[in-house]
Amino acid sequence: MNILQRIKNAVRSRSIHVAYVDVGSCNGCDIEVLACLAPRYDIEQYGIYVHNNPREADVLLVIGAYTPGWEEKLAMVWEKIPAPKAAITIGNCPISGCLFDRKGSFVDPPVKKHIPIAAEVPGCPPRPTEILQAILSVRDTVFANWEEEHP
Amino acid sequence: MKRIVDVNIPLGPIHPCFKEPIRLKCEAKGERIIGAEVELGYMKKGIERIMKGRPWQEVMFLAERVCGICSVIHNMVFIEAMEQISDIAVPPRAAYLRVIANELDRMQSHLLANFSYCYTIEHETLAMYLLDLREQVMDELELLTGARVTCAYIIPGGVRCDIPVTEAEALPASLDRMESDLCRYAGMFECGPMIALRSRGVGILTLEAAERAHVVGPTARASGIAVDCRQHHPTYRKLGFVPITRPDCDNFARVMLRFDELFQSIGIIRKCLQELPKGVVRGGGVCKAGEIRYSGEAPRGELTYFIKSDEFGRIVEIQIQTPSIMNIEACCHEMIIGSDSIADVTATFVSADPCIACTER
Amino acid sequence: MTTYLYEQDLVPQKYRILVAMRHDRLVQQISLELDIPVQELRRYLIGHLDMIQLENLPARAEMAEDHADKGDAVARALGREKYTVYLRILPGAAMDAIFSEVTTRVHAGASMEDAVAYGRIQIREALKP
Repeated sequence: MNILQRIKNAVRSRSIHVAYVDVGSCNGCDIEVLACLAPRYDIEQYGIYVHNNPREADVLLVIGAYTPGWEEKLAMVWEKIPAPKAAITIGNCPISGCLFDRKGSFVDPPVKKHIPIAAEVPGCPPRPTEILQAILSVRDTVFANWEEEHP
Repeated sequence: MKRIVDVNIPLGPIHPCFKEPIRLKCEAKGERIIGAEVELGYMKKGIERIMKGRPWQEVMFLAERVCGICSVIHNMVFIEAMEQISDIAVPPRAAYLRVIANELDRMQSHLLANFSYCYTIEHETLAMYLLDLREQVMDELELLTGARVTCAYIIPGGVRCDIPVTEAEALPASLDRMESDLCRYAGMFECGPMIALRSRGVGILTLEAAERAHVVGPTARASGIAVDCRQHHPTYRKLGFVPITRPDCDNFARVMLRFDELFQSIGIIRKCLQELPKGVVRGGGVCKAGEIRYSGEAPRGELTYFIKSDEFGRIVEIQIQTPSIMNIEACCHEMIIGSDSIADVTATFVSADPCIACTER
Repeated sequence: MTTYLYEQDLVPQKYRILVAMRHDRLVQQISLELDIPVQELRRYLIGHLDMIQLENLPARAEMAEDHADKGDAVARALGREKYTVYLRILPGAAMDAIFSEVTTRVHAGASMEDAVAYGRIQIREALKP
């Protein structure tokens, strides 16, 4: 590992910018992501900043069961994120559609079909600590040594 | 030479201020907003279509997932509508426990709404204080019902479980603590000169416009309309509920009204705990056929379920009229029109406490 | 007209809003009242209202039932405020023109039913896409 990579690793481990996109959930997971900002969980002590701006994000949190309004648009948002990047799905909806994936509904899960997903956090909704843990584990597995692994 | 051009500014669907996807296409003349068009469809899941033909046991959980922020009231209104259809009596203790769960839910929702507003006008300190307070309310809700969000606490003929003895003893003390904290935060909001600059006189919704758009909830009460479905609810009537109104019609009034209602909710929970009757919490009953229109007061306003069920308790027809539909409509076509600045659009929009998941279902 | 980036066709999504139970009942009722084919009325609504207005149609119609056109019998029969201020289907100026024409007919001695029927034909013409 060269010195440049080591510096990049050190910097990246304390600076993760997060954008979240709701592709058709019930809002329950949404507010649990917001609760991560609360002083109790304090997402910023790990160097994670929630900006909700795809162009400066490293991690995209995808919430919801993929509704027709997001056709094309979710892929477009994903393309706008500069590499290295990772997408994490929050809740059951992006994995299986939860209870919305029934006959007559408009949703089209899983989100995995539409953009590549690095990690999935099941739960309806998952607790803020679980969301926090997922972001932290993605940081260690995806962003470490990224340049050396992707020459 | 100065030239004024017509500008179209699309906001969203992904926007730092919006917690959920919605697209506002604002038409501006210089900085003044003269028109807005709303594009939805990012959250349309078709819940009502899934609900049709399913037994109430399944629809109950679907109803809760119409909105994750105010899940308790969706649960409560659906179950109470089914109870009205089937003539199921509720044990008095369960009725009081429902009110406690509902008011705790209202508190966390109002705190989240005020957090969003403070965050949008970039007063992050106050926003974080409020979010911290919300976590304490969520703790109480979790101790009472067993889950933070979507707890399915209310069932036909009662509630799922009794309030734990330790929780019943600890709740008044934590309510006192929350109230003293809240006093401070409400004072900070009320006296902040910068907050007043961003909020007072911005996003005016006049009484007439509010009536035309059928605005409900805190948005209506901040425009001086004393509508509140809790006035007609039997348990709330026993508790002597009186709605709060403010005549100012602006963003400041809407946020302050939510602060006022937080204090009111604390008062209601206290009174419930004092008067909590003894007895069972689950009476039981059978859901039958019938048709009903039933309303309840969600944190955002009047929530109405139109239900038709068959003799096995299956849902034949259902439509949910959520408060956000009316509030967002009034917000986008009345409040933000004539704003002096494009920066006020997001603040005004958030002050009406929009919930897109509710709106589209 | 303005063209936006990332624009998608909203007609199917708007149609889904309009075929929900209460919306459908309201559209049927209006189409019966004005004698317009249902699909044509739906097309007009989709073309002229945005999505949140479509969602809010039943609530506004309810308020119109209670509060609109309190004073004038002709205005009530025509739905003067109902269609302009409440449901916002018609522009106010078009409705005012129709209304003044109908009132002059009533004052000139035409029977109420005939004048209102004439007014409804005018509204129907205005609603043609």
